[in-house]
Amino acid sequence: MSENKQIVADIDHSLYDFKDIENEQDFYRMKEGLTEETVLKVSEEKNDPEWMRDFRLKCLKLYEEIKMPNWGPSIEGLDMDRISSYVRHKSDMKGKWEDVPEDIKNTFEKLGIPQAERESLAGVGAQYDSELVYHNVKDEVAAQGVIYTDLESALHGEYADMIKEHFMKLVPPTDHKFAALHGAVWSGGSFVYVPKGVKVDIPLQSYFRLNAAGAGQFEHTLIIVDEGADLHFIEGCSAPKYNVANLHAGCVELFVGKNARLRYSTIENWSKNMYNLNTKRAVVEEGGIMEWVSGSFGSHTSYLYPMTILKGNDSKMEFTGITFAGKGQNLDTGAKVVHVGERTSSVISTKSISKDGGIGTYRSSVTIQKTAKKAKASVSCDSLMLDSISRADTIPAMDIRTNDADVGHEAKIGRISDEAVFYLMSRGISEEDAKAMIVSGFANPVSKELPLEYAVEMNNLIKLEMSGH
Amino acid sequence: MNTDLNMKVNVLPVYTYNFLHVNDSTLSFSDISIDTCSGPEADEVPVGVSLERKIPFDKAGDVFRKNRSRIMSISDDFVMPNGDTSDRDAEQAVRTGLGIDVDRLFVDLSATTDIYTVSENTVVSKPVILRFNMQEGQGNLASYVIHAKKNSEVTVIMDYSSEQSSSGFLGVSTRLLAEEGAKINLIKTQLLGDGFIHFDDIGGACFEKGQINVVSLELGAKNVWTGCYTNLVGKEAVFNCEMGYLCREGRFLDINYVTDHRGKKTDAQMQFKGVLMDNSQKTLRFTIDFKNGSSGSVGNEQEDTLLLSEDVINRSMPIILCQEEDVDGRHGATIGQLGEDLLFYMQSRGIDEEMAKSIMVKARLESVARLIPDPQLAQKVQYYIQNVI
Repeated sequence: MSENKQIVADIDHSLYDFKDIENEQDFYRMKEGLTEETVLKVSEEKNDPEWMRDFRLKCLKLYEEIKMPNWGPSIEGLDMDRISSYVRHKSDMKGKWEDVPEDIKNTFEKLGIPQAERESLAGVGAQYDSELVYHNVKDEVAAQGVIYTDLESALHGEYADMIKEHFMKLVPPTDHKFAALHGAVWSGGSFVYVPKGVKVDIPLQSYFRLNAAGAGQFEHTLIIVDEGADLHFIEGCSAPKYNVANLHAGCVELFVGKNARLRYSTIENWSKNMYNLNTKRAVVEEGGIMEWVSGSFGSHTSYLYPMTILKGNDSKMEFTGITFAGKGQNLDTGAKVVHVGERTSSVISTKSISKDGGIGTYRSSVTIQKTAKKAKASVSCDSLMLDSISRADTIPAMDIRTNDADVGHEAKIGRISDEAVFYLMSRGISEEDAKAMIVSGFANPVSKELPLEYAVEMNNLIKLEMSGH
Repeated sequence: MNTDLNMKVNVLPVYTYNFLHVNDSTLSFSDISIDTCSGPEADEVPVGVSLERKIPFDKAGDVFRKNRSRIMSISDDFVMPNGDTSDRDAEQAVRTGLGIDVDRLFVDLSATTDIYTVSENTVVSKPVILRFNMQEGQGNLASYVIHAKKNSEVTVIMDYSSEQSSSGFLGVSTRLLAEEGAKINLIKTQLLGDGFIHFDDIGGACFEKGQINVVSLELGAKNVWTGCYTNLVGKEAVFNCEMGYLCREGRFLDINYVTDHRGKKTDAQMQFKGVLMDNSQKTLRFTIDFKNGSSGSVGNEQEDTLLLSEDVINRSMPIILCQEEDVDGRHGATIGQLGEDLLFYMQSRGIDEEMAKSIMVKARLESVARLIPDPQLAQKVQYYIQNVI
């Protein structure tokens, strides 16, 4: 079976599948494999402070000690000896699109990022392979005191202590093998700080592009939304498809202050040779709100379960997610929540679609600790099977340690209703279009949570998948 | 004979996050006294039923092995779910809820099996009643095979009882085969004493239009592991389960129920109703597994758990696995304390909170107890419930 999983489906994903040749003259590429030497080399490249270099080495040791997970999709096809941990363009990060090297700028132009920045974003960070190539935030947003910069600059600037205080504290490298890997070779990513009471009206976006074949991307995103502040952060990612495995082991740490609100939206469309082993986690203080909107469409194999710790009393979490597993994909996704504070509440609502032999697994955990009096948790997961060679599995868990909680869970697995297809066909719609319409309707609760242009992108992705491209 | 028990049981069909500690359960005790390795004989062997006594445990599995190609058949197109654990119990004559370690224990201790076979086309009017009147300090392993041949029907009642203050050990294995059109009704009531260690392992297979119905009440004992794995291999095979449980005063209850749908238009309905009190803990794993080829099948699993103390631990794993387009699988869970509206209603009618809780606990358990077909046993269970609440 593992052999089958290693086969990369030949799917034309033309929206994202364009390659730019990376020559030695313009690009620096570290040799494949993971050793102390490579970790020290990354550290040197990043000009790490001493504590970070030591931290990387500690993480490497943990990576070597921690076992592979025994419960998720096979990752036998991922060979770290064939993955380069660090690839970068030889030019520095720019603050203006016109200064970005032509080939990279073209890539982001094709992905529509500069246009999106002009029309609907408060700031953009663009990462190409291992490093940020562009970072900018609108003047009026910066004037509010909002910090949006690359993590490396923040590590050396006035926010260095804040980074040291928060970096990999929420996702410790002991968490799992790929958190340790991330700690050892992380590079790139963004730092956002929204000061007390500041509400950022339009979203910030980071876009991650992994162009190099046989490479890993290990960006670290650290967001601190201070008391009473409000932010919507959008994360996008894509890569061209190669016939060798690529690895994404990013890490996202989100700190939501008292009465603050953070919405974190992701449209993940990695190419289908990607092992997406990403870790995302948020901690929410008193009265704070964490909202996740997550669309998983790409990757060969995914392990993705954004986790929220509802630490403060009256804090809240909502997770809305959709996963579309097509040919050659094994997407194991879901969410985790831990209720610690009193009167905390969580709502998890997911949709999953499986087609053409794809494996879609919804996996979750809801933990209600003894201290979480009057906590409320609701989980709803629906799966749609489009044929009988695919899989749709639902593996939730609930661990409740107080009687003063109210927990509800419901799940459904089924197929497209024949009656609905027949009805649409009787109105002159082809069977294929009818099914696509029904699937779009199924996904609607997720797309309506996204800004319009991203909802359109998501619907286009579903149409692409439905038509078998 | 005294023996050490160290078994990994109730393994989930698919592993999940290790930090939850729900992937399996460890049944580990040292120096357990087991003085009997065979089960009690039925009060009466009804007409239409034959009994073979004290067959070696492994040999008693031959009836399943003869049908292994049917029971274990799997499509060439089968794709394993992530974290699949099926290899672990693949060598069992028929898969059971607790799994292969229980089979090994029975074989290692040379435990024997009583085989009850129901003749073809026979509806047995009287139930087969197996009474376990356990004594203080007694240790007993017991194994049964219930084989209902084509178009037959039988009801088997297993009554596990002892003095409420007593301690001991009781481990039971029950393997069921419902051939074409046959129906097996299995009723289990567990009213063991407060110091008992108990496991109850069930495995079954249903051929075309075969049916297994399980009613189970887990009300006593100190540490309990119970599990049931049902193979719905024939077209229109059915599994129904109603379980009621009560955990109080530090009790530990660990449950693993799995229905494996392989035949077309198979149907599984599982209902778990329970109450956790004091500092008790319960883990419930329940899985509907639609294999490819099980088109037209329906599976429904529901849990309703009442939590009555702030010191309880409740873990629930309602799993649906699916590799078939044309199925309808659902699960739902409601876990919490009594609703404020209900309490307010009760109080407005002069019923205080304690009394209201008592009424709701009894109502929940008695709704399952009502399904016991033997009036004498039903009364005994009701008396037990009245007594402990």
